[in-house]
Amino acid sequence: MTQELFYEDIHVGDDMPELVKGPLQKLQHVMYAGASGDFNPLHTDDDFARAVGMKDGVIAHGMLIMGFAGQAITGWVPKKYLKKFGVRFSGMTKPGSTISITGKVMDKRVENGENIIFCEVVAMDENEDVKITGCFEASLPNRS
Amino acid sequence: MADSSKVGTEYSPIIWEVERGKIRELAKAIGDPNPVYLDKEAAIAEGYKDTPAPPTFMTVPMMWCDKMPAIINDLKINFMMLLHGEEEYEYYRQIYPGDIITGTPRVINIEGKESKSGSRMDMVTLEVLYKNQRGEDVAKSRTLIIERK
Repeated sequence: MTQELFYEDIHVGDDMPELVKGPLQKLQHVMYAGASGDFNPLHTDDDFARAVGMKDGVIAHGMLIMGFAGQAITGWVPKKYLKKFGVRFSGMTKPGSTISITGKVMDKRVENGENIIFCEVVAMDENEDVKITGCFEASLPNRS
Repeated sequence: MADSSKVGTEYSPIIWEVERGKIRELAKAIGDPNPVYLDKEAAIAEGYKDTPAPPTFMTVPMMWCDKMPAIINDLKINFMMLLHGEEEYEYYRQIYPGDIITGTPRVINIEGKESKSGSRMDMVTLEVLYKNQRGEDVAKSRTLIIERK
């Protein structure tokens, strides 16, 4: 059993444990296409990607990068406590990139009897180019 | 140009039977080693009934049911100029293997915007409320699609 996470243990300003993914391979785009059902050739076919203006070829699915963020979040806050998770896609991700996911607790308060933590999450590559920014909320149990 | 008369349109539902293998496949594709998504016993030990769907699972029924391309077509959005701007989820209950989830997509907003560089964009927001076979709300997704001009 992983260690239980309690509301009392979380403080505003705390960092979510960092997750580093990659270097990304084109093979992962193929796996993600099959798993998600998103077969847009922009993610798997270099010739198609170049024809629509991506001079270096394919780019990763934005939802794959959101999936990385989901991995980081639910590796820290169990899935059963997650209430909201949203992202804005702000940059394209090329094969070979290494993506780091970081997060921070921005606020915590009791709402309708639930212990809610409000956190932000960011994914960026090794050049600190931001791929997604977002936020998530979770409802945590009390220690007592 | 996205067809702004389509605001409020509700599309026919996405109906999807959730399989344990599909949950594992999505976790594997992401490269998420969290055992709750991969192993029923591990999930039960963590307080779940079975392997729960990962946070971004709702993309699977949306894409595999070909619903997103159909909606994009109906809204007269040029597929080649399309960007995924934002994605947001609210979670009400876990989604487990064996669940049959039904999602009803609705267009909740369409607006034109001008980017900093002066180019025109249309912003379309789609919302899908997912219910399980007991009629309980399980999740809501909100997707912002951007059509570049």
